[in-house]
Formats: sequence, structure tokens, C-alpha cells
Amino acid sequence: MRARLARHRGAVVFFGLAALAPLFVHDAFFLDSLILILLWGALSAAWNVASGYAGQVSLGHAAFFGIGAYSAALLSTRWQQSPWLGMLVGVIVSIAAGSVIGYLSNRLRGPYFALSTIAFSQVLLIVASRWRGFTAGSEGIPVPFRPGFSTLGLSHPAWVYLALSLALLYYLVQLYFERSRVGYQLAGVREDEDAAAALGIASRQLKVIAVMLSAALSSIGGTLWAQYVGFVDPFYVFSVDLSVRFALNTIIGGIGTAMGPYLGSIFITSLETYLRATFSGKTGYAGGYLVIYGCALILVVRFAPEGLTGIAARLRSRFMAIAR
Amino acid sequence: MMLALEGVTKRFGGLTAVRRVTLEVPTGTLLGIIGPNGAGKTTLFNVVGGYYRPEEGRILFEGRDITGVPPHAVCRLGLTRTFQIVKPFGNLSVLDNVMIGSLTRLTRVRDARLDAERVIEMCGLAPYTAARAKALPIGLRKRLEVARALATRPRLLLLDEVMAGLNPAELGGIVELIRRIHAEGLTLMVIEHIMAAMMRLAQRIVVLHHGEKIAEGTPAQIASDRRVIDAYLGEEFVLAEA
Repeated sequence: MRARLARHRGAVVFFGLAALAPLFVHDAFFLDSLILILLWGALSAAWNVASGYAGQVSLGHAAFFGIGAYSAALLSTRWQQSPWLGMLVGVIVSIAAGSVIGYLSNRLRGPYFALSTIAFSQVLLIVASRWRGFTAGSEGIPVPFRPGFSTLGLSHPAWVYLALSLALLYYLVQLYFERSRVGYQLAGVREDEDAAAALGIASRQLKVIAVMLSAALSSIGGTLWAQYVGFVDPFYVFSVDLSVRFALNTIIGGIGTAMGPYLGSIFITSLETYLRATFSGKTGYAGGYLVIYGCALILVVRFAPEGLTGIAARLRSRFMAIAR
Repeated sequence: MMLALEGVTKRFGGLTAVRRVTLEVPTGTLLGIIGPNGAGKTTLFNVVGGYYRPEEGRILFEGRDITGVPPHAVCRLGLTRTFQIVKPFGNLSVLDNVMIGSLTRLTRVRDARLDAERVIEMCGLAPYTAARAKALPIGLRKRLEVARALATRPRLLLLDEVMAGLNPAELGGIVELIRRIHAEGLTLMVIEHIMAAMMRLAQRIVVLHHGEKIAEGTPAQIASDRRVIDAYLGEEFVLAEA
């Protein structure tokens, strides 16, 4: 048991601190940042399931995020339904969409698959922004705040625990993809699909299932995000920027590792929040944070392509060598 | 009968790689396949393994028609093949490679690990259990290819040139390994160019030439077959054997 915990030291520290934070810190800005770190981390973990573990690199995961965001927002504003029901509808629609995308992954490889996922999210963007009668078009949908758990009108500390539960759940899902039979089989598929087939692995089915699951997880994250932020803008929720964010969090943190998406999210989300707060007041520097953000990305990709988890592992082994 | 091919033909455009090949692999035998480069040996394996669908003919595995069954399903039925150009999962350890084979039959990761360790031991790879597959020299990578296939517990194993490119010491080791797994009751179909090894291992040999079966028989019959000597063996081999 102790050995098991030691293997997840990073996760225990991160999730433990997040759980304790609302008890001691009451600053709304800090709690807001923490909620976003957890939500973006969980969403990046969802992306990691398809792109990291199943090797199907998607740049259109905003599609599933947007489906989740819109399902809950539309059901609650048009039909006065609970966002939880909207979450369920989003999951069902996303699984259906994910099966189509997953099927595509069997036909198209590498960059062609990534391009088709971008196209898919762009199609949804156009539908959502033009279908004014149903989605309110490019104006977006404000999500009304109604206090209560069933309507997801929650206080900041409650949101921390909700986002934390999601993040923890997605962490465990990733562990499943790392340590289980399916995890081993997918590792084989990523390395060599023909060899995997020769060993009896149904790689196509595995990939489709992974993409469908990843879509469902992304959709849940999208619903929660929209309910938390309180506004659904088609140009944001279906944007390529957002898909890239999931990818970058994970790549910077360490793709195909369970802690990677969270490390990436801590780094990127806090950097972005800090830079935005610093530069937003100064005229002439609007968007200046993007420059620094971009430079940070280049540095990480250039000097630590295996991500932050890779750096951590390297430092640990060097430290052990010195200690010995 | 473990495996039966009935008039199997595989064409690539205008080229007929395998032409109306009929052969049988009785349960418990080791059948050798020989022939010059380009004779269609590997294509035949790809057809049997489900990688290519033949234009004509049927493939029966334990009496069951497996023509057109996809590769992963063929393996699950109990017929596993190796690749001439070995395909290890390069970034994974030897243990993980073999475990992935074991997990085809076993559902629990812990059981698979124990099973894989046994297979690794049997194949003489125990000192390299934790090594990355791509760090191994070719001789050991060929062994790993065999180990991984064995871990799926096939009833029929197809070995595609697992001896090619090995030095004499490595060769002796792998011949011994094949002899042992055959002695334990596994049925094998083996493609090989190394005639000396083939003569010792095989009970029957099929000779392919330009995609056609030109001879079949015991190693002794094959070594003295006029057409086989002309097409493949050459006079020198016969003289050396005599």
C-alpha cells in the first residue's frame, strides 16, 4: 500500500492540496484559478485518453466540450431542465459523435485524422453560430445562476470540490488506461499496429472505444465549465484554440502520463491567469501575455519534449545518483 | 489436421505471388517451407494469417474456414505468426512485450506478468527482462518475436525466417528452442533459408518456386529432388550433404 502511494506521490500532493485549499484560503480570485486549473486539467486528461493512450491525436476535442456546454445550457434555458440532465444528453450526443470520429481514425492516420477532427469542430461551430432560432447564434447563451446543487448554482468552495472530484475521477480513468489489460494492448497498438494484430489485439475496436470514452469525458467537462462560467459563446467553446489548449496542457505536462495533463494545466492556467492580470490594465500591452505564453511553450517543447513529468523523472534519477 | 490450404491463389495486380497452393499441416508436425527469394513464402504466411485475402481457394484451420478472417481473430483462434522483419514494441520492455502476448488469453495483468516471466525464461531471455526491446541485438530480437508469439499460446505457430542473420551460436540456441517447443506438442510451419537447420528440424518440407508448390516430401526426398536442386538448392548443397 505504501509503495503504491509512493508511486502516486505527485497526485497525492496535488489533489490533497486542492482539497485543503478551500478550508484555509477564502480569496475568490485564488479559488477561481484553482477551479479552472482542475477543470482544464480534467479536460486535458480526457484528451489524453484518446490522443495519448490510444494514440489518436485530435485537434477537435472542443467539439465534445461544446456539445456538453450547449446541451446543458439549452436544456436549462429553453426547457428549464436540470444541467445534470443536460450533462447526460451531452454525453450521449458526444458518444455518438465520438463513434464517428473514432471510425474515421481507422481510415485516416496521423495528420489526416487531426485535420478531420478540426473540420468536425468547425462544422459544429458554424451550426451553433448560424442556427439562431435554436442556439441564439453568435450571441451565445447566458446560463442563469440558480442557487442549489441540482441547478449547479454553487459557491466557490463547492465548485472546488466538484471540479476536484472530476479531476480525480479522470486521473483514475487514465490509470486504468496505463495499468490494465486494455492499457497494455493500446501500448502495443501505438508501437506497431500489425504486430499488435498478430498478437490477437482488435486495435480498431480499442481505438474507437477510447475515442468514444474520451468524447464523453470531454463533454462532461464542457457542461461543468459552462455552468461554472455562466456563458456559452460558440466562437469560444468550439474554437481550435480550445482544442489546442487541451493538447498543449497535456504535451507540456507529459503526454500519455496520468499526471501530465494536471501538471500542464497548473503551469499554463496559472501563467495565463497571472499574465492576463498583469497586462490587462496597461494600454498598449493588450494581448502581451500571449507573447510570453508562446515563448514559454517554445521553451518547453524545445528543451523538454517529454514534458514536465519527464523533467521530474530525470531530476529524480539524477538526485538518486547523487544521494548514492 | 491442423491446417489445410486448398488451391490458394494471391495476386497483386498482374503478378501472381501464390498460385493454387494446396498443402496440409498435420497436427503435431513441423512443416518447413523453402524456396528462393520471391517464391511467395511470406505472402503465403500473410494469407494464412489474415493479412491478405486470397483471390481463390480456402484456408481451413482445425477444419474451420478462416479465409478472410482478420489477423487478430486468427490469432485468437490459436494461430499466431511472427514477422520476417521483426516488429518488437521497441519502446517497451521485453517483459511488457511478452505480457501483451499473454494478455490475449489472460485477462488479469498480474497473471499475465507471471505467465510472461515463464515464457521469457523458457526462451532464454531472462537476463533481458527489463531491457527495452529496441536496445536488443538482432539475435535477441528474433527470440523476443518467438517469445511474444508463444505467449499467446497458439496451437499452430508460423515462424518466418527467425534464423536469418544470426551467428552460429545464436543459431544453435534458436534451433534448440524450436526443437523444444515442437517436442512439447506445438505444431509449426517454418520458413527458412538455412537448409542445414531445416533438414534437422522439419518432418516434411514444401518447396515454393514462382508462387507454385513444386515439391513436397521428407527432407531426404527434397534434397534429392531434381527440380528442387535446379530451382533452389544447387549441386553444391547436395554434394556437401552426401
